[in-house]
Amino acid sequence: MCEGFTGQAATTSVGLGMPNLPLSEVPGHVDGQTIDELRENVLNTTLAQVIENLTEAPPPAVAVNEPAPRDVVFEGSFDEVNRLFYENGWSDGLPCVPPTSEKVEAFLRFTDKAPDEELGILLPDNRRATPWNVAVNGVMAGCRPEYMPILVALAQAMADPDYGVEHSGNTPGAETLIFVNGPIVRELGFNFEQGALRDGFQANTTIGRFWRLYLRNVAGFLLHQNDKGTYGNTWRVVLAENEDALATIGWEPLSADFGFARGDNVVTIARYTGSDVLASAFGSSAEQILPYLSDGVLKQQGWQLCFTIGLATGTLRPLLVVSPVLAETIAKSGFTKQDVKQYLYDHARMTAGKFERYIGEYTNLVPGRRTLADFVNLGKAPAVFAESDDPERLVPIVLDPDDFMIAVTGDQLRTNAMTFAHNGMLGYPVAKQIVLPQSWPKGLSV
Amino acid sequence: MAGVALWTLNPAGQRTSGEFIDDTLRARAEEKGMTRRLHQAAIFPRQRVEVFRGDDAVSLVNEAFYRRGWTDGLPVVPPTLEAVDRMLLGTASRRSEVLGELDPLKGVASVEKVAVNAVMAGCAPEHLPVVLAAVRAIASPEFNLRGVQTTDENVAPLLIVSGPASERLEINDGFGALGPGWRGNAAIGRAVRLVMHNIGGGWPGAVSFAGLGHPGRYSLCFAENTSANPWNSLHVELGFGADETVLTVMRAESIVNVTGGIEELASVMGSATSAFSMAHGGHVAVVVAPFTARALCDKGWSKDDVKHYLHDEGRMATNLWERLWIKQKVVAASGAPRWLDAAAHSGRLPVVESPDDITVVVAGGDVPIAQQAYFPTWGFPACRISAALEIESGTEG
Repeated sequence: MCEGFTGQAATTSVGLGMPNLPLSEVPGHVDGQTIDELRENVLNTTLAQVIENLTEAPPPAVAVNEPAPRDVVFEGSFDEVNRLFYENGWSDGLPCVPPTSEKVEAFLRFTDKAPDEELGILLPDNRRATPWNVAVNGVMAGCRPEYMPILVALAQAMADPDYGVEHSGNTPGAETLIFVNGPIVRELGFNFEQGALRDGFQANTTIGRFWRLYLRNVAGFLLHQNDKGTYGNTWRVVLAENEDALATIGWEPLSADFGFARGDNVVTIARYTGSDVLASAFGSSAEQILPYLSDGVLKQQGWQLCFTIGLATGTLRPLLVVSPVLAETIAKSGFTKQDVKQYLYDHARMTAGKFERYIGEYTNLVPGRRTLADFVNLGKAPAVFAESDDPERLVPIVLDPDDFMIAVTGDQLRTNAMTFAHNGMLGYPVAKQIVLPQSWPKGLSV
Repeated sequence: MAGVALWTLNPAGQRTSGEFIDDTLRARAEEKGMTRRLHQAAIFPRQRVEVFRGDDAVSLVNEAFYRRGWTDGLPVVPPTLEAVDRMLLGTASRRSEVLGELDPLKGVASVEKVAVNAVMAGCAPEHLPVVLAAVRAIASPEFNLRGVQTTDENVAPLLIVSGPASERLEINDGFGALGPGWRGNAAIGRAVRLVMHNIGGGWPGAVSFAGLGHPGRYSLCFAENTSANPWNSLHVELGFGADETVLTVMRAESIVNVTGGIEELASVMGSATSAFSMAHGGHVAVVVAPFTARALCDKGWSKDDVKHYLHDEGRMATNLWERLWIKQKVVAASGAPRWLDAAAHSGRLPVVESPDDITVVVAGGDVPIAQQAYFPTWGFPACRISAALEIESGTEG
């Protein structure tokens, strides 16, 4: 692998069941080297390591010992606990709530699952996700005990192979956005109105933080080790949809894209490389508003198009979030959510030549300089990508209108929207039902 | 919860996978029946930092570290967060920088891990650049750390500091330079030993099978005596600038004291103590006493003349060589170096290939009953690694 990735390779190989896998490196990064430089690097460095790796026995592998789930690892004051957790790499740098047995037990009362039930296996460290370690990280993040059903569903979503948690340390450093749908949005006091993606509401904020702590402490993503995000960004505040607004205009909630019904409590996750606000969408009809929103969605697409065709075909799921008043105006023109997706499919288009440069010439993410027509001819892309051989022809940015995701939340009376650039198969959308305990208190509010 | 709280960093080696080498060491210690002494081997919190509390927290740290197999048997300075932070002020390197994976158990020698062991050894922050340079040296292939750590021979890293900063680093170059009393000599070499022990996993009797060992395995570090040296300095000879301070690392089989002069040195070199360099080649070292060096210089001898003399006169009679255990058991099977065979017809065999394979350093007290030292070597490939220290020159503190 390239020099900068040896730490990641060494740690990841353990989780993949190949501890002490011998590694060979290419100095620097291959993308920045000429053919001659690369040849020299491979012959002078890589080759010798390959030979050494093939001719020397790697050191014997031994299982990594860790504290047992219920071990009390420390007794001390709040400050001391926080210092210890920080020094040992268990915290994100902000103070944590010390996860005492008492607090963990309080969380566990909000799930009917056994504390050590396996919710899934999380790469790269290959640890078991359990209600116990979910609760520990939930306590640390500052969650309330009644958030536990959501946290459990999130752990299950994280472990879903379609999501691809093992890619959480990839270099674009994308960050997961959590969506919540269902009555639980109101029951737990999520902010689904003005400032929906700002910190300030306990449920939105702490569950977002939980996600990152869980990635750190259970999945095992640590900066300077196997989290190779070039920049990364802070964890995202949870997005709760405004289901009242959706009901008023007759649009389905986001969770319906994944087969759930209105009224189901559902978490959905997807990883986004970035986002931008489309401020002041002006117009009193869908026809006036959608060109601007469509242009905003299109503008975020660049290298990510390798997830539409080439690298992980068909996995790009751009997200458009609109405020309730915008959704209402669009709906007033007779547009269903499906119509909006179709509109984006038809209008958020770029020239084939540009598309090919993003995945080929600029990035080499899809090596070999294959054209979109090549992919169509190979049966690896729909015909719409090769309607002619004119490089100036317009092609869609996703394979299917349903690849667009649309959510409604934010300031009810401001005509703004937000777009999110998606990370494709490296964080593909996954939704999970939130299972409430038998004892779930009706009308619980905070 | 009364008393002191010591927030100590873990000194033990972890592989790139995160696995502690102590798990392997525990298994070896159990096989070898060593767990009565090392009953806490591999039993410790698997975390970077742990806390020891109580009025006798320093003793608790020491007892725990000793029983976990993390010391050389002597008490250590608790490597607290504060002490390690202070130690790291001695280098511009980032604490996460990796110097190498140390054989045989492949613990990752990060700057922080090395600093932890340097604190334990008693180093001051200004010693850290020397320790880091030494760790880089022992991690390089030509040092053959795996061989050094696991062989049944008694080889140890020999650390020679030459250059103007040695005085400020309090590395003794005069009376008792190979003995106790100076922090630089004691702590730098000890830090390297603790690194080999804790990060590389060279536990005696479990991984390291040196038949006897020698006290140089606690620490073997001294400075060249610049003021008493009539010739050019070692580091200048090796191509460094006069104002640089340079660490040279070699593999030393033992220390042989030689009272007398150059003739006695030659006679010791031409004995069975040199058997390994005759079998494998390599670099040996001699410490020449100030008195001897001055007398030779007064006679017009250059350092090069000294090397040639030792190469010509420090030879072994072929019939003695033929009787040596190493010749009969090792060389008979693997073959002698070509240069040794080439000299066979003369009846007198040199102990290294060329005069330049003899490293000459002036050190020690200036007394007429002059004491030199000979450091025979062990193993292959030839090893004499030098690096300029990232350290300011000058003698003011």
